[in-house]
Amino acid sequence: MIQLFNVCKAYQRDQNALSDVTLKIEKGEFVYLTGPSGAGKSTLLKLLYCAERPTRGQILVNGRNITRYGAARIPYLRRNLGIIFQDFKLLIRRTVFENVAFPLEVQGRKRFEISKKVYQTLKNVGLEHRLNYYPLQLSGGEQQRVAVARALVVDPLILLADEPTGNLDPEVTLDIMELFKSANARGTTIIMATHNRNLIQQFPRRIVSLAAGSIALDDWPQFRSPAGLTGRP
Amino acid sequence: MVLRAGYFLKRALRNMRQSPVLSLASVATIAVALALLAFFAIAVLNVQQLTASWGETLAIVAYLDDVPDDKIVKGWVDDIESYPEVAKVTFVSRNAAFERFRKRLGDDADLIEGLGPEVLPASLEISFADDWRNEAAIASVVERLRKDHRFNDLQYGQGWLEKLEAFLLLLRVSGSALGGFLIFAALVIVANTIKLTLYVRQDELEAMAMVGGTSLFIKLPYLVEGALQGLLGGVTALGLSFLVFQVVLQKSLGSLLLITGIDTIHFLPPVWQGMLVVGGSLIGLLGSLFALRKFVRFGSS
Ligand SMILES: Nc1ncnc2c1ncn2[C@@H]1O[C@H](COP(=O)(O)OP(=O)(O)OP(=O)(O)O)[C@@H](O)[C@H]1O
Ligand SMILES: [Mg+2]
Repeated sequence: MIQLFNVCKAYQRDQNALSDVTLKIEKGEFVYLTGPSGAGKSTLLKLLYCAERPTRGQILVNGRNITRYGAARIPYLRRNLGIIFQDFKLLIRRTVFENVAFPLEVQGRKRFEISKKVYQTLKNVGLEHRLNYYPLQLSGGEQQRVAVARALVVDPLILLADEPTGNLDPEVTLDIMELFKSANARGTTIIMATHNRNLIQQFPRRIVSLAAGSIALDDWPQFRSPAGLTGRP
Repeated sequence: MVLRAGYFLKRALRNMRQSPVLSLASVATIAVALALLAFFAIAVLNVQQLTASWGETLAIVAYLDDVPDDKIVKGWVDDIESYPEVAKVTFVSRNAAFERFRKRLGDDADLIEGLGPEVLPASLEISFADDWRNEAAIASVVERLRKDHRFNDLQYGQGWLEKLEAFLLLLRVSGSALGGFLIFAALVIVANTIKLTLYVRQDELEAMAMVGGTSLFIKLPYLVEGALQGLLGGVTALGLSFLVFQVVLQKSLGSLLLITGIDTIHFLPPVWQGMLVVGGSLIGLLGSLFALRKFVRFGSS
């Protein structure tokens, strides 16, 4: 589903945010992307949705080489992706409902279909009572849930989530994780950048750990869960 | 992508509602530029009409010292009418001239009480064919009249036509230059105004691009917005120039201008009115196109 070959990204000369990253993620996988701040997690995700171009290397998504995608093809790539941005990127002049409806509008879906789907998705994230609020009238956690809903509303092939639980209390975090898990069960490939160790312990999945732009670790969690089982299935 | 006109129109109107001051600024800029242009067009149009109507009455009048008998007059008329430049030659006898004079005086006809037709000369009025109403043709006919018939008392437009035509040319050139400048200025101002609204909505444009909006899908509402503002500007310009035309030109200046022989001042013909409105829309459209050029990007590299 996703393959990176020797990918480098330098925002400035001689300063690699990512260096020589080679990575393969199969369809239907759930992968945590971890690593200290500045390690290059967001950069890696940005390369996958073409917000940045690699300085070197090749990137394949869903069987297509997106390395040199231009403005004409990027939108169609993004329609297969659900993206949760670290800074949400909500439309502040649109209501919660309109924000979540927007990716469907872009795809030219029918109005009644949009309404139904949006309502259902907002209900899943527990925001059905905030339909007509504007993003700035919501708490940080609620905004984050709107961002989650907007990413999931399109039933994406791949979900790219950059710190999707950063502002959430543990309870809501679990709710969101349940949503991700059920999307994952329906076939969505998930890459989730996170610092949340507890979360990884609770839902052990493959971990790709970055350090200073390189993959430091790519494995399943090696720790004992409370039941005394290892994380590996 | 399915083009849903209503959807884009709705988004455009919504954008305009959200920044009414900037929208109004665009509309006003286009309106002012086009109204100035319309005034110029009205001036050119009317001067043009004036030269045309003066040209129609263009004639040479040959005054006859003695009145020869009808046969000789008839010979002259036929001869002069055979000139290619000449459309018609009319003999105006002393009686006819006197009668015309009396009529023109109207209420003041008592001024010529006691005078007879002998005070006025008879004349030949020579009018020109459509294609020959110019200075050169007049000169050539005058020369032949002098040579062939020894008519010496000739009266004709002495250079005014050329001057008027030169004035018209000046008006047209300066009008075009000013118009070009005004349109360019309007374009730049509109582009910058729309750019301001785009700055405000930069996050929105980015978010749209991130969820898979195509370039056209993102831009179209702004293009519609520009065109709408241009349309409004064009209509405002039309209304404004019509108002000024009605109030200033027709009511106040009308009677003044009558003296110079201009009896009706014309407004822009319907086609020009249409062009003004269409032109406004085009300015708005191009303005937003310029503004959008650098704005909608899909990545930073
Ligand atoms: N637009 C940019 N221009 C220049 N340098 C950048 C840019 N974005 C990121 N960087 C640099 O690239 C490196 C990796 O940044 P990135 O945002 O990928 O880190 P991260 O792992 O997501 O960190 P965090 O956990 O804090 O979100 C950092 O050193 C950062 O300064
Ligand atoms: Mg980050």
